[in-house]
Amino acid sequence: MDKIERKKKKEARKEEYNYVHKIGDICPLSHLKINQVGKVINFNFENKALRRRLLDMGITKGVEIEIVKISPLHDPFNIRLRGYELCIRKDELENIECEVIK
Amino acid sequence: MKCALVGNQNSGKSLLFNDLTGLNQKVGNWAGVTIERKEGIIKGTDIEIVDLPGIYSLSPYTSEEEVSRKFIIEEKPDLIINIIDSTSIERSLYLTTQLLELGIDVVIVLNMEDILKKRGYKLDIKQLENYLHTSCYSISALKNTGIKELVNAIKNKEYKENSNLNIFNSDIEEYIKRVDLCLPSEIKERRFSAIKLLENDIRYNSLKEQLKKSIDIDNEIKVIEKNNNDDTEELIASQRYKFIESIRDSVITKSKKKSISEKIDKVILNKYASIPIFILIMIIIFTLSVGIIGGLTVNLVDTFFNGCDGSIHIEMFGIEIGTIPSTFKGIGPMLGEVISNNNGSDWAVSLIADGIIGGVGAVVNFIPQLVILFLLLSLLETSGYMSRITFLFDNFFRKIGLSGKSLIPFIVGIGCSVPAIMSSRTVEDDKEKKMTITLTPFIPCNAKLPIIACICGGFFGQYSLLVTILMYFFAIAVIILVGWFMNKFIIKNKSTSYLIELPEYHIPSARYVFKDTFEKTLEFLKRAGTIILLASIVVWFLGSFTYDFHYVDGTNHFIEQSFLAYIGRGLSWIFYPMVGIGHNYNDIWGISVSAIQGLVAKEQVISSMQVIAKVADEGNIFTSSAFSYLNPVTAFAIMTFNLFSAPCFGTIGAMKKELGSYKEMFKAIGIETGFAWVIASLIGIVGGILGLLGVF
Repeated sequence: MDKIERKKKKEARKEEYNYVHKIGDICPLSHLKINQVGKVINFNFENKALRRRLLDMGITKGVEIEIVKISPLHDPFNIRLRGYELCIRKDELENIECEVIK
Repeated sequence: MKCALVGNQNSGKSLLFNDLTGLNQKVGNWAGVTIERKEGIIKGTDIEIVDLPGIYSLSPYTSEEEVSRKFIIEEKPDLIINIIDSTSIERSLYLTTQLLELGIDVVIVLNMEDILKKRGYKLDIKQLENYLHTSCYSISALKNTGIKELVNAIKNKEYKENSNLNIFNSDIEEYIKRVDLCLPSEIKERRFSAIKLLENDIRYNSLKEQLKKSIDIDNEIKVIEKNNNDDTEELIASQRYKFIESIRDSVITKSKKKSISEKIDKVILNKYASIPIFILIMIIIFTLSVGIIGGLTVNLVDTFFNGCDGSIHIEMFGIEIGTIPSTFKGIGPMLGEVISNNNGSDWAVSLIADGIIGGVGAVVNFIPQLVILFLLLSLLETSGYMSRITFLFDNFFRKIGLSGKSLIPFIVGIGCSVPAIMSSRTVEDDKEKKMTITLTPFIPCNAKLPIIACICGGFFGQYSLLVTILMYFFAIAVIILVGWFMNKFIIKNKSTSYLIELPEYHIPSARYVFKDTFEKTLEFLKRAGTIILLASIVVWFLGSFTYDFHYVDGTNHFIEQSFLAYIGRGLSWIFYPMVGIGHNYNDIWGISVSAIQGLVAKEQVISSMQVIAKVADEGNIFTSSAFSYLNPVTAFAIMTFNLFSAPCFGTIGAMKKELGSYKEMFKAIGIETGFAWVIASLIGIVGGILGLLGVF
């Protein structure tokens, strides 16, 4: 039972990993592939210090974020926003909701 | 006049500081190299300048940012020199908007405009000055251009005064004014404080209470949040960026080109090639420093201090590749001779030759290979590769509660744990940093190599090189195990983050690489001259005097009567599981004594064992009756304990400094020694049982 469930979960994750979002889709930033661009709609961070830090780094509503590189071990991501690049973990991107624009 | 130099990490701040003052200071290409503020005088003037750690905002997130914020607000410099990386101007100006609120004059220094031009962008400095109402200067800190103009402008006060720029929408500006009016008159940074109060910054809670009579800040915040449908912290941050966006397009005109760094990263961070490239680079560094240079020099330097037995043995990775005949007596024995020729007592000779020269010499042996190691690591750092390594391995290290940045101390630790622990400062998260510091000494450093080489050479014969290499993998396994354990049971590490910028690749500046290497070496030497010297003398004393204060001369009084031997007997129970059944404290005190002496410098474990073996029956470690219980299993167990237990005093000192308290330091050492004991005991017991069963 447990095995089947785990297998299902794994498949679901794989599907999610392979799924390429289309323009107009709304999804977490972590779902985007390299060279895709998302416009930040909302974000939700429980850790206040981290939230403040990300605001300071320019992750505000409406900003456009491009996925530039992904580490060969699938995490962290290197993103481009406001004319500079930043490395950030998938966990953080998971909490940023975006609209795919490219 | 006093200036503060403020800017983002990696903006070239430390380079500009060097250009301005002529003083050298650490320059690195990975974020957060300037840890504490540094001071200097601008060349040709009497203007003081303070270099502050790189920050992105005045709401501190790491301890380094706290240093900067505190300095600016509490010590109120006359002028803030705000350095900006022209290639990421939008993010850099975010900090500028905050600096302008402090009521202190600000000049903006645009660094790396040449790189921006190369990429096909054009920057309109006049426009930027108009929008910000401040003076802007374009420089290149690396090429040392534009500095003279900047210094003249500061000296002659040609810059514009702070005009308290209003950048928020009229609604928020109104609230800022309202809070400003209620602030007590002694507060000078009025606009800044008002904004902090509206942002609900916890550092301003006491001020908020104080103002309660004239204005209810919490209520004001509620009203703003209701009107704008967002919390004030986010509103203020996003309006700062809105303001910057509004001026961006008229300041910068672009035509996009692909940079060289992107092309290099296509290879270096390639899915398949990245890890082999990393391993290759590590092998090259290790072979050059520890292998070739270390092998060629260790015994040469040792001969200089301690003399030799007729020839100098040249080894590589613990295997002898040649000998040089030599009759040089060594500084220590020569000084000893001078003392005894002048009728000095035996113990004075021994204090100089064995205690002082021997102890410090044991550490200085490693200087040549450390210099090479520091040089190579400095190259990696300034070229921009070091940051890529952290990007590459972050995912792996996070699984055991570390950050990709922890890899830097681990790599430096191959050479020496002291600079390695110092480099852990760049790990932002406090818990990750503690774990990194605790785990770094597990990496076999240069000084532990002689232990591995001697034990493996003596007990594993033809397999010695294989076992030596395996020890490094063993160390990695121990790090993963202990890291996992700490993460699970001791430091529960849940929400951490990893935010780093990958700098552009560039050819390292020779001037800085050499100076950086020189400074690190000097710091290491300073340790050898202080803590290690002191510890050597203490351990020498304990080993050279009997419990009734007779000098251990080897004829009437022997080392087994020394203080150290008694301490050794008292602690020998630690080693019972490792040496098997049938030995008591009178047999195995030599092992605990050598482990204690290893605290001075780890390679002393071997030299101490050699002394004990010689005193016992003129034998060596492998033949002497003092170590009759050593066989491949027990020797491996004892080696494991010595490698992974408490590090040397030099490292312990660095741990205390970076962890900040004795409590944390003892906790870290306790974890290290505890694990070393458990693992070594398991090896001893399991190996012993297998031996009895006749497996080998």
